[in-house]
Amino acid sequence: MILYSDAMKYIITLLLFWGICANGQNTKAEKDSTKSVELEEVVITAAIKKKIETEMKMAVSVDEFLASSEDISFIKRGAYAWEPLLNNMSTERSTITIDGMHIFGACTDKMDPVTSYIETNNISEIDIKSGQEGSLHGATVAGSIDLKRKSTPFNLYKKWSGSYQTGFELNNKQFFNLGNVSYSSDKFVADASISFREAGNYSDGNNKEVNHSQYNKFNTSIGLAYKTSTLSSVRVEAIFDQANDVGFPALPMDLWLSRALITSASYKQLFEEGLFKVWDTKVYFNAIEHYMDDTTRPENLVHMDMPGWSTTYGLVSKATLKNERFFSEIQLNAYNNLSIAEMRMYPQDRSERTMFAYSWPSVTTTVAGISMNNTWELSERSQLNFGGSLTINYNHSKYVEFNWIFHPGTPQEKTRILPSLNTSYQLDINNFNFSIGTGYGHRAPSVSEGYGYYIYNSFDRYDYIGNPNLKNEISYEGHASAGFKNEKASVQAKVNYFYIKNYIIGRVLSMGSPMNYQSVGVKGYTSLDHSTLFNFSLNTSYTLFDDLHWKGSLTYARGKDENEKNLPFIRPLSYQTSLNYNYERFGFQTSVNGDIEQINYSPEYGEDQTPSYTIWNLSVDYTFYIKNKKTVLQLGAENVLNEYYSTYADWGNIPRMGRNIFTSLKFNL
Amino acid sequence: MKFHILFAITILFVITVSCTLEETDYEAEIATEVTDYYDFEEATSFTSNQYIITIEALNGSLHKGYNEIRLEITNTQTNEHINNSEVTFLPILTDASGNNSSCPHSYELVYNTDENYYSGYAVFTNKSGDIGSWELYISFTDNDQTYTVNQNISVLEQTNKNLNMASFIGNDDEMYFIALIAPQKPNVSENNLVAGVYKYIQPTNPAGDFPDPSQFLFSKVKNHKLLLDPRMPEPSMGNHSSPNNQDLIQLNDGLYHGVVNYTMTGNWTLNFIFLNENDQVIKGTEVPTDFTPGIEGVKSELYIDTLF
Repeated sequence: MILYSDAMKYIITLLLFWGICANGQNTKAEKDSTKSVELEEVVITAAIKKKIETEMKMAVSVDEFLASSEDISFIKRGAYAWEPLLNNMSTERSTITIDGMHIFGACTDKMDPVTSYIETNNISEIDIKSGQEGSLHGATVAGSIDLKRKSTPFNLYKKWSGSYQTGFELNNKQFFNLGNVSYSSDKFVADASISFREAGNYSDGNNKEVNHSQYNKFNTSIGLAYKTSTLSSVRVEAIFDQANDVGFPALPMDLWLSRALITSASYKQLFEEGLFKVWDTKVYFNAIEHYMDDTTRPENLVHMDMPGWSTTYGLVSKATLKNERFFSEIQLNAYNNLSIAEMRMYPQDRSERTMFAYSWPSVTTTVAGISMNNTWELSERSQLNFGGSLTINYNHSKYVEFNWIFHPGTPQEKTRILPSLNTSYQLDINNFNFSIGTGYGHRAPSVSEGYGYYIYNSFDRYDYIGNPNLKNEISYEGHASAGFKNEKASVQAKVNYFYIKNYIIGRVLSMGSPMNYQSVGVKGYTSLDHSTLFNFSLNTSYTLFDDLHWKGSLTYARGKDENEKNLPFIRPLSYQTSLNYNYERFGFQTSVNGDIEQINYSPEYGEDQTPSYTIWNLSVDYTFYIKNKKTVLQLGAENVLNEYYSTYADWGNIPRMGRNIFTSLKFNL
Repeated sequence: MKFHILFAITILFVITVSCTLEETDYEAEIATEVTDYYDFEEATSFTSNQYIITIEALNGSLHKGYNEIRLEITNTQTNEHINNSEVTFLPILTDASGNNSSCPHSYELVYNTDENYYSGYAVFTNKSGDIGSWELYISFTDNDQTYTVNQNISVLEQTNKNLNMASFIGNDDEMYFIALIAPQKPNVSENNLVAGVYKYIQPTNPAGDFPDPSQFLFSKVKNHKLLLDPRMPEPSMGNHSSPNNQDLIQLNDGLYHGVVNYTMTGNWTLNFIFLNENDQVIKGTEVPTDFTPGIEGVKSELYIDTLF
């Protein structure tokens, strides 16, 4: 990859330059640092998840952390790289970004969602927005998930801080080490993190080892910021992630190697006076390589390699406007992505010719759009949010002849216009809050949906063919929430409904025959006339005593296609309840969660009925201080009763992990 | 501070620039198995009296299967191209026991006024040395005088499997020849499939002086049809096929045209059913359409293998 190494050289030069440059100016900066206009972000409240830990566990993976949000469910093909479903919709329908940067996985089988290329010690929060409210980062149907990087603010005094976390999980012998360090001064800030995770095969509730469920992950990141004036700063950041030898028990192949290099350089300008408050502009580049093969599966009839590459560069520029009653964000998003995926099958007689085809025939996606979110405080109690976006989406398939096989004469290029609008009204009356809103938006088909070629889906065992002529998916949504909160208790109920026109899904094709030997037929991505999706969640919390807290949540969803038949991957009624008790330096947590029996499953899309399950978890932690630095030791067990289960979204009904005893230790430096 | 940053960058650098998989060069990939025939070059030349006869074929060699032939006659005394001659062209295969046979060919060559050559074709059924040797019998006229000449030629093995041919006796007891002409270099795509279909015409009169062209008559088969079912024979491909193929029918150029979709590179089998003008089967059988991983695909009675 010439592009990759070239860009790497460029970035390294840039980093080196900044490292030296910033260091040189650092000493001088201390003298004239009396002026203190803090660079602080103006953040409006949304469903932002702050601390990267769950109720139960302080050392979690990004996936485990996301799973603790009631908006997110997961498709799991193993122990690694779960595919997050937002509002019960797959990743094509949501925008997943890192600090607004668009990144696209390089695996045709969606084995590398963006969330698999970061680590918990380099993100600070995850911002989940539902439906069209998430259109700030680009056209979406389900909403947006923005992973916010850790970035230490400038500090008047020189300050070092950091933390180190290590732990062991017994079930899959996972051993992890996460370290991060940051330095801040008046003029210069540096954040760095490094992490290693190593896990073997896990065992299910029957104590049976699930083969090919191991993984190894290395992640490191660096961020350097320099204050160019009292009101401006520049920042360069890079994340490098590498996973080796990752097994996918639900698939006929494994990941040999994946790498991601995610880089950005940004400039931020604050304004003291006037309507304009902040202007933040970032250029970014990321390159992802993902190599699947089946050398670890000698039982396979065909040996096959499936490498994929995804390279994106882009620009995101955001202006924040604010006066007493009005708050507005205007964002420009532009990016270019090149997705290439290959498959090469080896004949049984290896001296014979190999069989080659592209599963993504070198598809370029160029997107430019402008989005806006506004909040208008009508009164002390009520506010009106409204926004919209307009995006141009251009696709180009270099080897369009692959697409011609199923869609003769289809054009090589396709341009789409993707509008989006949303509005909502929020009202707070004493302890009660209400909101109601609506949205409308288009999305373009993903690379796989538009240009995919014989992409094997091991869930329904069909080879999938993209259709470049698919219409835009158009979503009409409505949402409402109501809540109550006082010192002791809180209840929040949320409901949303999507009517999605031209809903894209795979339908059996009458032509063509399978290419992958496990496959049973060929499906083409097709637009249904429409589909509907309904999501409901209820969250409650109650403080029984000062040290004893209870939380409970309930989610329910229902998805139907145009013929009132069930859509796949819709979560059945699920519940979670937890108790948290603090006694001196000890904390005790216990939780129970589960799904009820999946009644509304979809045999048409390869689903079978999944029985109900209940999982009980337990943990205890102890906090102590080493030289005034907080240190936490935690010991716990997940699935204490060693229940054998798989969820509705477990690929191929692979069983989940059985009892898992975990321990972790976190030092603050 | 500087040390830390440099250290981190160094680690990053070392990890990132270390080896990764190269992307496939697609153009090179589809060219690995395929000999490209690009230019017409001299395949052979010989003299007769004051005339030089030059035969050009793609890349300067004759192969088993379909060969387009360009023939030029030059008068060495005047150094002029002869452009108003009546040229006949007859390839003869002589086997070890002295039996003579021929192959589908154009007996009377046609002058191409734009490009200044006599145009024809030959579908060689064997390479030289397989069962005998090939000789060209050529006659031409100049100034009302007829000249004849014969020349031994070398017919090579067909290295481009996309130009393979088949010869067979049909259910009507006639001898037929099907030779692939295009695509020479297929793509993972729709490919316009062109084939020449020929028939040996049994002589009705006894043989005259050798070589008597009436004993070696071939004709282009008219208004027949070739039903096409392309499949990958490799056992692991489980009898994989492709959609949107079109059967071959005869167009104005006398050749049979259809569409074959190759879904990936590798070995393919073009299974044919050959129908006459009344849609009666002359040769070929329907092949199973089931997806049978691990089992080599069953071929039609009439098929041609390709590879790219």
